[in-house]
Amino acid sequence: MEKRGTIYTYSIVQNGSEAFKEKTPYVLAVVEVNRRKKMARVEGYTEATDIRIGMSVTFLGEDERGNPIYTFV
Amino acid sequence: MRSVSVIGIGETKIGRFPDKSLRELLLAAGSKAIDDAGIGREEVEALFMSNYNAQSFSGQGHLGPLTAEVLGLGNIPTLRVEGACASGSLAFRQGLHAVATGLYDVVLVGGVEKMTHQSTEAVTAGLAGASDIYLEAGLGATFPSIFAMIANRYFHEFGNVRHEMALCAVQNHENALLNPDAQLQKRITVEQVKNGVSIASPFTIYDCSLVSDGSAFVVLAATDVAKDVCRKRLVEVVGCGQAGDTLTLGSKRSLTTFDATVLAAKQAYVMAGIRPSQIDLAEVHDCFTITQIINSEDLGFFAKGTGAYALAEGKTALHGEIPINVSGGLKAKGHPIGATGLCQIYEIVTQLRGEGGARQLKKADIGLTHNIGGTAATCVVSIFRGR
Repeated sequence: MEKRGTIYTYSIVQNGSEAFKEKTPYVLAVVEVNRRKKMARVEGYTEATDIRIGMSVTFLGEDERGNPIYTFV
Repeated sequence: MRSVSVIGIGETKIGRFPDKSLRELLLAAGSKAIDDAGIGREEVEALFMSNYNAQSFSGQGHLGPLTAEVLGLGNIPTLRVEGACASGSLAFRQGLHAVATGLYDVVLVGGVEKMTHQSTEAVTAGLAGASDIYLEAGLGATFPSIFAMIANRYFHEFGNVRHEMALCAVQNHENALLNPDAQLQKRITVEQVKNGVSIASPFTIYDCSLVSDGSAFVVLAATDVAKDVCRKRLVEVVGCGQAGDTLTLGSKRSLTTFDATVLAAKQAYVMAGIRPSQIDLAEVHDCFTITQIINSEDLGFFAKGTGAYALAEGKTALHGEIPINVSGGLKAKGHPIGATGLCQIYEIVTQLRGEGGARQLKKADIGLTHNIGGTAATCVVSIFRGR
């Protein structure tokens, strides 16, 4: 399993889905791994986080639906 | 295939009408279209009805018979069509084919959506069903956040166009000031757009289209039949193309070119024998400011990466080179999902007939509508010519 991915694009969500209210603000990204792109959530965002397209993120695990969750750390 | 023309149009004002029923909206817009066509109800041979999500928003399904009953259309066949935000133009395309192939001479195409009686959360959740509910909505994605990711990728590839996106919102609001059917007739400034409530970076609330109620209808007829019936300038449907793309954002070939738009437009231009430079005006899907900019490129009006600057130079303004969304667009006229594609056609036909009032363009002979569903996963492009 590839542990690193690259942010292809992202958005910091300030007004998002009701189901994710307690996580707001949260970061969604399209993460590229071995040239394959997939939507993911990236945990650990703070106002100090300097998000850039092309930066590396670390795979944390999958949510209950099998969706990838990454972290900035 | 026979030539087909639009002989009647009707729409409600687009807005927030939580107390109006689906029946009231359908009756108002449908009756206007039939009266405008100058035909009797008994002359309508089939109904193609567009709706995205009344089942969830209002608990109402089976929109075809509902509409036929409301409009007194008798026992004609009806069909409900759904393709997310492109539902309206998809229904239009079905009606067009039914007449073009000779199955019917006169058909009615309608669209309706009623959303504002629901909470923002219910509307957001209802709309999220047009994305992948597990792979996208399940992660916390909403449509603003999906298109915000498209915007950030566009910035990365072509430069930061935050300012031009704000100008897009300002321009569509400016146009809506002249449209009595528009939901938001309110002038806004670039600063207001940039400093609005943050939704998903880089979007503020002003980058997003509206939550709306409304209905719109068009009457289509074989041009040979229409010539004898139509009392107004005949508006012929000279081109129509449809293309699709993957449902999810991550699986798309490109995030900054909408392949479905490019392919649907190509089909429509070839069918019409028309080049993008010959289009006098266009209604372009602007669910978000960046969407209008990308689509204006993919429709061939501007080279890739230059749409935002063309907008800033005034090329898409009311009396610019290629006026876009003179109605106010989804951004300010409003976005009653199932009716939106038909609202676009309503504007083009109005302009081609010279009935645009204060917003009437001097030259309006060839018009284009562009409507996408979901993350540009469904796209219909149609071209109209006044005869």
